[in-house]
Amino acid sequence: MADNIPKTPKLDELEKGRWPSFVKEIKMAAQKSPMAVDLLGQLEQSYDEKIGYWKHGGIVGVMGYGGGVIGRYSNLPEKYPNISHFHTMRINQPAGWFYKTEALRKVCDIWEKHGSGLTNMHGSTGDIILLGTKTDELEPTFAELQKIDFDIGGSGSDLRTPSCCCGMARCEWACYDTMALTHDLTMHYQDELHRPAFPYKFKFKMSGCPNDCVASIARADMSVIGTWRDDIQVDPDAVREYADKGMNIESDVVDNCPAKCMSWDGKELHIDNSFCVRCMHCINVMPKALRPGKDRGATVLIGSKAPIIEGALLSSVFLPFVKVEPPYTEIKDLVDKIWDVWSEEGKNRERVGEFIQRVGLGNFLDAIELDPVPEMVAHPRENPYVFYEEYFEEDEGEEEEES
Amino acid sequence: MAKTVDEIAEAMFGMVKDAQGLKKLKPMDLTKAMVELYGGEGVDKKFCKLAIKQLIDSGRCVYTYFGGSYIELPHSEGAAN
Amino acid sequence: MSDVMKDRRTDYGPPHYEQFLPPVIKENYGKWKYHEFMKPGVMVHVSETGDKLFTVRAASGRLCSVSKIRMYCDLADKYCDGYLRFTSRHNVEFLLTKEENINPLIKDLAEIGHPVGGIGNAISSIVHTQGWIHCHSAATDASGIVKCVMDELIEYFENTKLPGKLRIALACCLNMCGAVHCSDIAILGIHRRPPRIDHENLRKVCEIPNVSASCPTAAIRPATVDDNPSVEVIEERCMFCANCFTVCPAMPLNDPLNDGVSIWLGGKVSNARHEPMFSKLAIPFLPNNPPRWPEVTTAVKDIVELWAKNARRYERMGEWIERIGWPKFFKMAGIEFQKEHIDDFKFAGLTYKRSTHLTF
Repeated sequence: MADNIPKTPKLDELEKGRWPSFVKEIKMAAQKSPMAVDLLGQLEQSYDEKIGYWKHGGIVGVMGYGGGVIGRYSNLPEKYPNISHFHTMRINQPAGWFYKTEALRKVCDIWEKHGSGLTNMHGSTGDIILLGTKTDELEPTFAELQKIDFDIGGSGSDLRTPSCCCGMARCEWACYDTMALTHDLTMHYQDELHRPAFPYKFKFKMSGCPNDCVASIARADMSVIGTWRDDIQVDPDAVREYADKGMNIESDVVDNCPAKCMSWDGKELHIDNSFCVRCMHCINVMPKALRPGKDRGATVLIGSKAPIIEGALLSSVFLPFVKVEPPYTEIKDLVDKIWDVWSEEGKNRERVGEFIQRVGLGNFLDAIELDPVPEMVAHPRENPYVFYEEYFEEDEGEEEEES
Repeated sequence: MAKTVDEIAEAMFGMVKDAQGLKKLKPMDLTKAMVELYGGEGVDKKFCKLAIKQLIDSGRCVYTYFGGSYIELPHSEGAAN
Repeated sequence: MSDVMKDRRTDYGPPHYEQFLPPVIKENYGKWKYHEFMKPGVMVHVSETGDKLFTVRAASGRLCSVSKIRMYCDLADKYCDGYLRFTSRHNVEFLLTKEENINPLIKDLAEIGHPVGGIGNAISSIVHTQGWIHCHSAATDASGIVKCVMDELIEYFENTKLPGKLRIALACCLNMCGAVHCSDIAILGIHRRPPRIDHENLRKVCEIPNVSASCPTAAIRPATVDDNPSVEVIEERCMFCANCFTVCPAMPLNDPLNDGVSIWLGGKVSNARHEPMFSKLAIPFLPNNPPRWPEVTTAVKDIVELWAKNARRYERMGEWIERIGWPKFFKMAGIEFQKEHIDDFKFAGLTYKRSTHLTF
């Protein structure tokens, strides 16, 4: 195969420099895969002509599932016949992206046999991305994946593959077990993940603390972000140790507190926890001295998304604090109610955040039977045009007294 | 008289067949229509889910994606090329 | 039921994560007490039991051949009893229990071309999308720009001399598969020419009401062209979002003369100090200039270094700019403020300056 590799003077420029080169990866794959050879050719042409040559194709998949395969075709199939089909398969990653090499090698073997040998570890949603294969290889690939217990992830108007940070597996700040919740929701909602039934996509992302390492507040229709209700745990000796080692507690920690709820007298750090907003800064800076409290759980926020269609949104608070423990009834009840309303009333390609913008948060809360609380808004309304839904008639008061 | 999953799947198949080339139907379009028609006979959203699964697993219909997910009669791939 | 489906396993979900956790994690799950930064790209987590877990984080290009994954596996077998993980920013992490394995591992990683870093006050790997490698709507390449930018900035990956964390992300079109809209620096591919309508094919491959409905500014309306049903675009209303193209392939926006790159600044997702915020437009347009995109790499590097020089300790890009004000930022960065910087979509009014808090 190596002698078939096309001349790619432009791409070769991207083998220079110290950052890992994706061109080297494609060339490595091209040692064995004719698809990767043609990919090099087409990509070099894109670099020459400053335009992509792919066509979207939404009609391929594996039997029974409606998501997880992204159909793709080359616009130049005569010139690059080996990538005339170049479909992607999304494979549901194990929660937290932990692997044993034995399992990972099996995935590699399957993809070398049935696909281009190129992957993304991982895609934006969290899946293992197997990048590029022919329609005829989709079923055989899935058949082999079944044997090694890897299932296909989501795409289209379905539940997208849930993902999470490494949580309690390696982080002292995890306020709940992100990996356990992610796995549980993934298994509980397999039907929604594999059989698109929503107006548009729906994403869960689980972050163990307000540092939000999986960007759930920006990227998930439901963001579950760990937090705590009681006091930050302080080890006063360890605080002094940081100070002794040269940390300026005043400027590095106290001055950066957004709630202005702490003070430092040179010996002791005082925190008025009733005003702490759980931002994590002081804990981030002094991980040996400060820890989240012991009464831990999560804040559940709804509705973030990228700009398409009506503009980007961040998630906003729905449940200020929940305990996150199996079987996660409170979270699942909320999910089911939201899906019920949004599935029925949402417009085609309308994310749940956009739907809420359209119908109004107040009305949406009514529909899912959740009481409004002040934590849900940055501030109450500034606009006086209030839609009161009822009013008294002149003689109504008396009637009410009678009944 | 209670409807069977097969009957509802068949009715859905009819809808898809009639709409092919005219309008792409989403799973919720099928569900809403069935609940409207047969809601009195115990057909609800959950029941429709089973019917859709049956319809897809039988190979008579497939999921497609054109900016959103639809249920259609199987395409021949040449059409995409 | 069709034959394929008869004995088919479906809906079994991903492998349970527990089988992939190294013993040190299984034993200390939920018991980690604190962690310490040891040196660039290396940290240690210490458990209440006294156990230690060392993490070595290496950059990856996101696009990985199976040959490369096997190389990672070889290293994990050699140094980590066969355990490794990946991060949300495409880095690969090696999980060690023996401290003496750290340096040999780093040396072996260097030999296969993978620098170690990205922890603490550093730039982590750039989250990015497919670009010309696999995407139908890309306005630029993704991996290429990422490679060029990181070649320039690699020292900030490999050391921790920045004031705070810096998160860069790239999306090759407004669909933002990489959800770049909350990054310290977002590199965003943009189209600037309205869709060219393929009237011949449109009615065959698209439903006209769907195409019309897809436009967020109602710029697309049904029209008869050459006696055939099609659509027309009111070009002044097109903001190049490409939503129509997503629902209808007969409306392509890709165009080598007009496609390019924009730069957005000051977003964050972490709640630390300042609340999460969106990135804001700094540079409306830079040309696509493959293979090395010099205009983009220079612009990004200049901004990183301006921030590094002027921000206070821990201050993220957005916190710094908010403190000094955008007018000062534009002046310091030497970026000309243009009409395109002013929002004109849904919530535009909220972005106007509504006070006299100005610097001179």
